[in-house]
Order: sequence, then structure tokens, then C-alpha cells
Amino acid sequence: MSSVPVSAYLTLALILFCIGLYGALTKRNTVIVLISVELMLNAVNINLVAFSKYGMIPSITGQVFALFAMAVAAAEAAVGLAILIALYRNRKTVNIDEINSMKN
Amino acid sequence: MTFSGELLAFIILAITAVIGGVLLLNLNKVVHMVVALILTFVSIAGIFVMLSAEFVAVVQILIYAGSITIIMLFGIMLTRHRETTEAKGGGLRKILLLLGVLGFAFAVYIGIYNLDLNPQESTLHVNNVEQIGMALYTKYIIPFELTSVVLLVALIGAIVLAKKDDEKEANKE
Amino acid sequence: MENAWIIPLFPLFSFLFLLLFGKKMKETSAYIGIFFTLAAFIYSLVVLFDRFNHPTFKAEANWLSIGDVQLTAGFEVNQLNALMLVIVSLVSFLVHTYSKGYMHGDDRFHIFYAYLGLFTFAMLGLVLSPNLLQTYIFWELVGVGSFLLIGFYFYKEEAKAAAKKAFIMTRIGDVGLLIGMILLFWQVGSFEYDEIFLAVENGAVSAGMITLTAILIFIGAVGKSGQFPLHTWLPDAMEGPTPVSALIHAATMVAAGVYLVAALFPLFTASKTALLTIAVVGAITAIFAASIGLVQTDIKRVLAYSTVSQLGYMMLALGSAGYVAGVFHLMTHAFFKALLFLAAGSVIHAVHTQNIEEMGGLWKKLRLTGPLFLIGTLAISGVPLFSGFFSKDEILIAAWAHGNTALFWLAVVAAFFTAFYMFRLFFMVFTGEARSKMKNVHESPAMMTFPMIVLGILAVVAGYVNTPWFGTFLGDWLVEGNAALGHGHIEGPAWIMIVATIVSLLGIFLAWLMYGKRTLSRDWLSSRAPYTYKLLYNKYYMDELYGVTVVKATKFFSVFLSYIEAFIVEGLVKTVAGIVQGFGKIGSKIQNGQIQTYGTFAFVGLAVLIVIYALTGGYLK
Repeated sequence: MSSVPVSAYLTLALILFCIGLYGALTKRNTVIVLISVELMLNAVNINLVAFSKYGMIPSITGQVFALFAMAVAAAEAAVGLAILIALYRNRKTVNIDEINSMKN
Repeated sequence: MTFSGELLAFIILAITAVIGGVLLLNLNKVVHMVVALILTFVSIAGIFVMLSAEFVAVVQILIYAGSITIIMLFGIMLTRHRETTEAKGGGLRKILLLLGVLGFAFAVYIGIYNLDLNPQESTLHVNNVEQIGMALYTKYIIPFELTSVVLLVALIGAIVLAKKDDEKEANKE
Repeated sequence: MENAWIIPLFPLFSFLFLLLFGKKMKETSAYIGIFFTLAAFIYSLVVLFDRFNHPTFKAEANWLSIGDVQLTAGFEVNQLNALMLVIVSLVSFLVHTYSKGYMHGDDRFHIFYAYLGLFTFAMLGLVLSPNLLQTYIFWELVGVGSFLLIGFYFYKEEAKAAAKKAFIMTRIGDVGLLIGMILLFWQVGSFEYDEIFLAVENGAVSAGMITLTAILIFIGAVGKSGQFPLHTWLPDAMEGPTPVSALIHAATMVAAGVYLVAALFPLFTASKTALLTIAVVGAITAIFAASIGLVQTDIKRVLAYSTVSQLGYMMLALGSAGYVAGVFHLMTHAFFKALLFLAAGSVIHAVHTQNIEEMGGLWKKLRLTGPLFLIGTLAISGVPLFSGFFSKDEILIAAWAHGNTALFWLAVVAAFFTAFYMFRLFFMVFTGEARSKMKNVHESPAMMTFPMIVLGILAVVAGYVNTPWFGTFLGDWLVEGNAALGHGHIEGPAWIMIVATIVSLLGIFLAWLMYGKRTLSRDWLSSRAPYTYKLLYNKYYMDELYGVTVVKATKFFSVFLSYIEAFIVEGLVKTVAGIVQGFGKIGSKIQNGQIQTYGTFAFVGLAVLIVIYALTGGYLK
């Protein structure tokens, strides 16, 4: 049995998730916001992998899911960046607080 | 909890990952932030290794620390990045958010700090890649193929989004 | 008789029809109104004759059930109601006809007829009501009709003020009526007249309560019938068109108070105090208004004060247990007073002024109006053989027989006054030399003279249905089958009749001396007793008195309340509104279009929920 308890991994994931969340909701640069979202996804991956080993019934499924999540994250990063470029071309800024076309 | 090499490795990796995250929040230059995040991503790969997920760890390094970070750096290079990114104002919102995040962390921590599931002995570390391959190509074959479709859509979508205005501008001229 | 409920629907239909299509019909709308009121009148006559041979008919339907209490709506045809139906529909029909000529050329001609229809509907509904609640509803509707018609010339400040005054003054009385009604309902558990009478008869209601409710209801009648001290609105109501004055403020609506007392007569007879109150108020009103009428110079105002005075007579009769006398006088008064008003309207129509000092010598010019006015004057003065003589005589006898000697003499003096001021009016308007202004005076069209002729005939003959000489047919019929109403005819000493005759002839003679033959100076009163004259001329300063006391007090109280309104109520409202607005402002600030703000608040909300959940337990325990 491992000397590192599962709750340690979960706590690490929680901390990283919170950092990512805070960054995603406070940073002005859209690139950083996207990266923060990636960080949150990564924290989720840690959880998936940790439970795949230390869950009630250890199974490879958790790791497979982590892989899927990574694939989706990669796709999201690509699309997000494309949107960012399009946006930058139109508004000449990547500051997220200057993008408020949802107002009114 | 006995002190062991594994615990030491976990502590080092965990601290590195958190430091990376904190640097992400506190650095001034956008490029530095992304580089700080590479630190986190690599540490997480280490965590994955500890969790008997060698293949995931490798993919993590390839995709996150490699491609995604590079893509982000490209994004930064392509846009204006010289400015410092500290937001002016919005302090109240930040405090509110900080409280919310801390509350959330506290609540979740209550749930997980004493979690002990008494797991069975796992065999994930034995032929890890082979196990993943078996799972992907048998049980998860349809999601796996669908993932390829998602990637394709993302690829085409990204190209279309990035190209669209170029064409318009070209038409104007 | 079973279909008597249809009678009020005729004028209602006329009202609705004219409301919808009146604008296009202009003056033809008069024929609609005339036709429907004629129909109502004919049907009322049918009902009346039906009632002679059949017992009282009553039909009701459940309207509301509140707990065990059933509120009903329906109609009742008893003697009084049938009689009132005929009076109201007849006068209404005649006034409709008359107005065709009088209102000719008015811009709002059709509206006038619509209002008349509404009023007639309400009045007919009122006299058909079998219970207090329904009576009250129609009572208020009648008030609305009166308000609209007084204020018909709403562009005239006086008319506007008069309409408001009438509405508010009657409302004061209505409050009394409402309270009395509710008290009765509380005691008896029903609004039905029959059940109220039954309860009173069985002693289910304490004597004090009977007195209280009776007086409260009487206050309603005081307001409506212009009795002292709530009479001041009635003279002002003369600002309305003259046909309206004839219909509402002489014949029908103001008689509603008398009708109400008559309809609830068994309740009043159960309390001596209440009866005495009515008698005293009636007598005071009679003499009070008659004395004011002595010196007024506006033709319609003289008639208005005379109306007030005659209504006081009716109240005196009812208060002296003279049920028949009161109702009888109500009927004859409706005819001769409507006649007088219509004749006065005809005079005004001819000379375009209401000031009698500017009139004179009209007898030769108004060949028809003059004699008709004379008939009305003779009738109201109580000259023998005219209708007013018989009904007034009944009242005097009732007052005497009931033992109210003081009130009896007051009534006699009032009769003298009445004869005097009516003939003063007559002589000033119709005799003497014509004034220079009075050119182009011409008789009114047939449309206007016809109703006056009908009323003139009735003013003469209506009295003969109940005379000590030819039988008391009306009286016997009215009290038939209801012992509580008293006797059909009260025997009284013969000298009362002689006294009444002498008094009225004296009044006429004095008026002739002063205004006809001029042997006595016109200024006799104003020169001998200038203060008395002034007092009378200014109507005992009643309006001024109310202005100083009631109005001032009310205004003071209102200002006080308006401060409460402005600072406390408004403050509360503003606080509430401010809180809501504040929330709204915070909310709209959140909606600033930035995705991060939305995310922040969504997440904080979620975090709060999760923290609450974690702290209150139930989390993997």
C-alpha cells in the first residue's frame, strides 16, 4: 500500500483547480484565461487518474478518460486560440474586460 | 503515514505544481506566466507517473507542456502582449471571488480530507500502455473514434475562424 | 306582475343604446328615450292595476352565500312600490318628452338622454328592491345619475361645484344609511325587508338598537331628501338643466328618502324616539326652508326651497305615524312640483333669465304656461279642491292626531309661508308690467307644453283618490294587509281643514297685496327687519356656517392627514421602492457584459450553496 494517501492527491488537485478558477475569472489577458482553463482541466485529470489507482475498484478507465479529456482540451485550446485571433483582429485587443458585447 | 521516498517525491512534485500555479497568478509578463505553467504541467506529469499512469504522463508532457503551451505562446506572439496584465479596479470582485474560491475549497476539503476507500491492490503499473491500448480499441472504440472527429472539427473550425476575416479584408482590397 | 323586473330594463336599454349609438343619432335619440320610458310607464300602469286585484308579488334569486347567510336579489311589487313605479315612470316619461324641446340645440343632447335613462333605471330599480342591500346599490346609482345631471353643464363653475356638493352632502347621509344597514344586518342577519320587520315585531332586536338603526337610516334619507341640516345641496342642484330639476330634484330622487322611510315604516314605528326625530326634523325643515323661500329671487331656487319644505312635510307626516298622508303627499307633490318646475323651465326658456325681479307681465305672453303655473301654485298652496289641499290636510290631521301640537302649528305656519312665497313668485313672474328686456317672448313648443298639461290635469285630480269626502281609496289600498302601517285615514277635527284653508288663503291674499295690487310695499320686510331679511336672504348663513365649521375642520384634518401621507406613507413607499431599486441597480451593474463578472457571480453563488451544504452536514458522513 502506498504511503501517500488518496486525499493528498485530491487536495493537490483541489488547490490547482482553485488557482485555475481564480486565474480564469480574474486575469485580463484572454490567453491567460484560456491557460487557466487548461489548468483546471488538468486538475480534473489528476482526480481521474488518482481514482483510477486508489478508487474502490482500480481500473484503467480513469486513465482512458484522462486521455479523452486531454484530447478535448487540445481541441479546445486550438479553437479558443482561433477565436482569440479573430477577436484580436476585430477589436485590436485581447483584454477580456474590454469585450463586453454581451451588455445590452 | 510513514515517511518514504514516494511521499518525498509527492511533496516535491506537489509543491512545484502549486508554485507554478501561484507564479501564473502573480507574474507580470504574459510569456512568463505561460512558462511558469509549464512547470506545473511537468509536475503533474510526475504525479501521473506516481499514480501508475506512465502513458498519461507522457501524453501530458507532449500535449500540455508541449503543444498547448506552444500554441498559447503563438497566440501571445500574434497579439499584443507587451502590456502588463494587472487589472485596474474590480478589486471588490476579486475579493468576492477569493472568498468564494476559499469557501469552495474549504467545503470540498471537508469532503476529501479523510477519504479512505480501502482500495484493492491495483495492477495498473504492469504494461500500462498495453492496458490503455486494449481498453481504447475494445471497450472505448466508439468514443475514441469520436474523439478523432472532435479533433478534426476543431482543426477545421480553427482554420475557418482564423482565416475568415483575411478573406474579407482581401475582398475589400 | 311577475315580469315587473323588466320595467327598469327599458330605461337601462335606452341608456346603453344611447351610449353606444347616441353620437350618430343626435336629436333623434330623444325619441329612443321617450319610447322606452313610455314603455316603462305603460308597463308600470299594467302592474299597478294588476296589483289592485292581486296580493303582493315577490321574486328572489340567491345572489351570494356567505356562510349561512344568503344574500338575495330580486324584486317586490307591493302597494307602495307599484305606486312609486307609476309616479317615477310617468314623470320620467313626461320629462323625457319635455326635454326634447328644452334641450334643443345642445351639443351633448344624446348624452343628456343617456343620463336620464340611467337615472330612470336606477330610480325604478330602487323602488322595486325587496331588500336593503339592493336598495342601497340603486340608491347610490341614483346619486350618480343626479351627480351627472347636475353637472351636465360642467363647463360652468357653479354647476361643477353644485354637482360635487350634491354628491358629497348626500354621501354624508349615505354613510349613516350604510352604518344603519350594517347594524341591522348584524342584528337580524338579513337585508330582507320582510325579515327585518319580522325580527322587529318579535322583539329579536333590542329597543335601543331599533332606535339607533332607524335614526341612522333616517340620516340617509335626510341626505337624499334634502332635510335640515343636509339640505344645502338641493338649492344648488338647480344649476342642472330644468327638466332634471323637475325629474330628480322635485319628483323622484329627493322623494327617495321619503320612500325609504315609508318602505321601512314598520321599523320606524317600533321606536317612538325615531318617529319623533323624524317628525321634528321634518317640521323644522318645512318651516325653515319655507322661510328662506320667502325672499329668494331666483325662480328655481324658490321652487327648490319649496321642495325642501314639502319634503319636510312628508317627513313630518311619516314621523307622526301618518304613513298614508306621507305617501299621498309624495304622490301629489311629485305631480304639482314637476309641473311647477317644467312651467318654470318654460318661463326660463322664454325669457332666458332666472331672476324673478327681471320678469313680469308674462301672463299674456305665455298663454299656456301661465295658467298651468297657476294650477301648480294653487295645488302647492293647499287651496281647496286641488290635490295639494287634500294631501296637506292629511298631514296636518296626522300631526294633530299624533299629539304633536307644537309641530302641528309649525306646519300650519309653514303652509302659510308656502302659500305666500308661491304666490309672490306667481305675481312677480306673471303680473305687473312687462320689463323692457322681455321682447321676443313666445310660448314653448308643443313638445314642452304637452307634459305640462298632463301634469296640470294630474295636479288637479290626483288628490281625489284619497279625500275625506269621496272616500279614502288610496289610503285603504296602501295599508291593506299590513297593520303596522296604521289606518288608511286618520279622523281629525273638521276645523283643521278650515284652518288650513284660511291660512293658505291668507298667504295668497298677503302676496296679492304686496306683489299683485301693490298696496303694501315690497320692501316691507327688508325695511322693517333688515337683519331678518338678510338672514333669510342668505339662507340663514347655513353654507357659510358649514364653510367655517365643517369645511375648515375637515380641511385641517385633511392637511394633517396629507402630512401623514406625505411623510409616513410616502416615506414607507419610497423606502420599499428604494430598496427594490437598489437591488435592481446592483443587479444591473452585474450585467456589464463581461463574461468574467458573470462567471464570478455564478461561481460565488454556487460556492455559497456548497458551503452552506457542507456546514449543515450531509456530506459523506
